Amino acid sequence: MTAVATDLAWYVFGVVPAADAERLEARIVEARGLAALVAAVPLSEFGADVLPERLNDREWLERQAREHVEVLQAACAAATVVPFRFGTIYRELDDVRAMLDARRAELAASLERVRGKVEVGVKAWAAPLEERAAAAASGGDYLRRQLAARRAAESASASLADAAAAAHERLLRHAVEGVANRPQPPELTGRREPMILNGAYLVTSAEAVRAEVESLSADYAGAGITFEATGPWPPYNFVDERREQ
Amino acid sequence: MTTPQRGSAGSLAASSGGPAQLADVLERVLDKGIVIAGDIQINLLDIELLTIRLRLLVASADKAREMGIDWWQDDPFLSRGGNGERKGALEQRLRRLEQAAGLEEDKE
Repeated sequence: MTAVATDLAWYVFGVVPAADAERLEARIVEARGLAALVAAVPLSEFGADVLPERLNDREWLERQAREHVEVLQAACAAATVVPFRFGTIYRELDDVRAMLDARRAELAASLERVRGKVEVGVKAWAAPLEERAAAAASGGDYLRRQLAARRAAESASASLADAAAAAHERLLRHAVEGVANRPQPPELTGRREPMILNGAYLVTSAEAVRAEVESLSADYAGAGITFEATGPWPPYNFVDERREQ
Repeated sequence: MTTPQRGSAGSLAASSGGPAQLADVLERVLDKGIVIAGDIQINLLDIELLTIRLRLLVASADKAREMGIDWWQDDPFLSRGGNGERKGALEQRLRRLEQAAGLEEDKE
């Protein structure tokens, strides 16, 4: 492989209908009615020999991931967009065109699916687990306390699961499609409250979901459950991708 | 007219008044939540140049650790372990991909 002047590659953020592309000021590459949003990236940063290392650099990853989403989010405001995952890189623009050509049917179907809609995220959080550090007076007492605490935790967890499912159902009523993803662990959220719902909803209006989130917050305030809406996001949860080669 | 500029995605923060949670961002852009499951999937479509090593990142956290990619290990932010059961399948897949990639490698 020659490492001559070709020190750039093409990073693809996502795909829009070619008809929408003129509304965007991003660099685009067109083929067969589809347009890819692209940006030139230096191989010194995104090349195969350095990218693994870069991905291990959390600051770099955070900056790049946020940029990736922001480009798509801005595009979503003006066009129907099929978002691509982070790190989709092509050597030549012709390779991008070939991708558009090869995946045309699938991409067109995805565009149709998300046209006129946005993705909204809704997360629900339970109250933080109480500390049960009561000192045990005796071994028997300790065991009884442990057992009682475990039963209480099990019952609480079951009712939280019910609440999460009920909330998801209510949110689905405002959505064309919805999915309950795995709740993020505390290590990731940095919060003491356990996440009990991590939903994503494809909606024509984010407002209806936000209103439902307010109503859920009111209804579940007594149970100590809080809700949070995020987005609008590029419709990541609602585009099909063929990941297997 | 909207110009897709970097840093212009203000409405991402609409609900909280702050920037979107990094976890929410990574969960979406890094296929199947690297951060959640310990998997790293970089969805590279270009099999000519960049796939080979990046495909090595399509691995469980265990596999990544073997390769010295362990930045989340001592980082409470990302410290959920990988899934051992999937390791064998992933290793097989990696081997296949490496072989396939080897055939493609000298296209240029």
